[in-house]
Amino acid sequence: MNRLTLLALLLLSPTAGAASLTVFAASSLTDAFTEIGRAFDARTGHRTTFQFAGSQVLRAQLEGGARADVFASANDAQFTPLLGRGVVSREVFARNRLTVIAPAGSGKVRTLRDLAGSGVRLVVAAPNVPVGEYTRRMLAAVDRSGTYGKDFAARALKNVVSEEGNVRQVALKVSLGEADAAVVYASDVTPTLKKSVRVVPLPTRFNQTAAYPLGVVQSSANPEAARAFVAFVKGREGQAILRRWGFLSPSP
Amino acid sequence: MRRAGLPWVGWALGGLFAAFLLLPTLTLLARGLGADFLATLRSPAVLDALRVSLWTTSVTLLVTVLTGTPLAFVLARREFPGRALLDALLDLPVVLPPVVAGLGLLLTFGRGGLLGPGLELAGVSLAFSPAAVVLAQLFTAAPFYLRAAKAGFASVDRDAEAAALTDGAGRWGAFRFVTWPLAFPFLLEGLVLTWARALGEFGATILFAGSLQGRTRTVTLAIYSALDSELGPALVLSAVMVMVAFTVLLTVRVLAARRARLGA
Repeated sequence: MNRLTLLALLLLSPTAGAASLTVFAASSLTDAFTEIGRAFDARTGHRTTFQFAGSQVLRAQLEGGARADVFASANDAQFTPLLGRGVVSREVFARNRLTVIAPAGSGKVRTLRDLAGSGVRLVVAAPNVPVGEYTRRMLAAVDRSGTYGKDFAARALKNVVSEEGNVRQVALKVSLGEADAAVVYASDVTPTLKKSVRVVPLPTRFNQTAAYPLGVVQSSANPEAARAFVAFVKGREGQAILRRWGFLSPSP
Repeated sequence: MRRAGLPWVGWALGGLFAAFLLLPTLTLLARGLGADFLATLRSPAVLDALRVSLWTTSVTLLVTVLTGTPLAFVLARREFPGRALLDALLDLPVVLPPVVAGLGLLLTFGRGGLLGPGLELAGVSLAFSPAAVVLAQLFTAAPFYLRAAKAGFASVDRDAEAAALTDGAGRWGAFRFVTWPLAFPFLLEGLVLTWARALGEFGATILFAGSLQGRTRTVTLAIYSALDSELGPALVLSAVMVMVAFTVLLTVRVLAARRARLGA
């Protein structure tokens, strides 16, 4: 037997217990889950692959019959409808906060008030994207407080030049300098992004807490490995990685 | 003459393939034309998308004809060093992945791009504007017109032009009354193809122009973003696209047939 067929045989016949795992996860989890996947695979011998997208896209795909073993969403709105029908469990494994970012070289948006200023180009996520939902809740909270005058939210939303389908696309537009400001998660300000953006202070009383649920998908071909992945994310090592990428602990 | 018979395996395989090509479009049509077609068609999301697509593609076509026609004429008629190379380079957008085209546009005309600071000084901000939609369509679709127009101008009988010139027509007159009418079927065919490509443009648009309802969200972008929440508008717009695409193909066929008759 030559070496190539041996290799093919090795690839085709998984060693006992090793499974191929597909994880659908919110875009904001891209960096943290990629690292968690590597650590999990090294520990268990499984082979984990990810699909990152806006949670609403992943939910639609799961409803459309997409094959996955684990689903991690950035909000409940895109998760709970699947409970029972597509997903068998729900555990909050991380929380997140919002942050406003602006291009490092631009002084157009220095404070929260500037979001509603005239001639400001704002990029946010669409309302059905979790971060888009939190963004609008945050703007409404500022509006209610009256701190920045009447119709703050309406004026800010009028400045929106594009509604993106996931949070990483929102961040990209600011890092390229094409938008004057954007609302993303605190965890999106990764070391890479930090080089090109500036964080605009967002008072805690206006901020929104995003809770991330994850669960095993009903049709999973490897429910045992899927449960192991969920446990790993909730465990010490997974939590440490999440914390390193700027996520908060699951319990307030 | 005895016709070569096709073995039954051939029939089966060919039929299977034809069904594969037909089924998805027919399914789209059937689902899209379902009960609430008209109601969904009148929804703001759908109307806005149709309006944005209609007028951005119109501007794209206008710019294509005005700038593409002289360029095609020069490329078809004049010899100059590097013409073959220029020809190939101008064809590049046809084979370039649209999302690459979008990145190129963003890095060239975006605020942080090559020409960005200059444009900004002039008070022009292109990214995320309807103008960006037009530029994306122009970049990816206009080369189709260029190709067809070049072929058209190359096919015109030079003797007819020469005759017009000796009969006292000016160069513009010769172009207007001889060259243009003879090349016209080619130009029209190129224009229809350009329009179809512009209408279907997605990757470059979403990257360079973003997606905002009523402003930069064209039909294809609207289908994509509707898929995130409710299927209705996506189905209706998809059905519209299937019908438009079929009309475009039919038009091109008719034009090609007419061209062939004229040539014969």
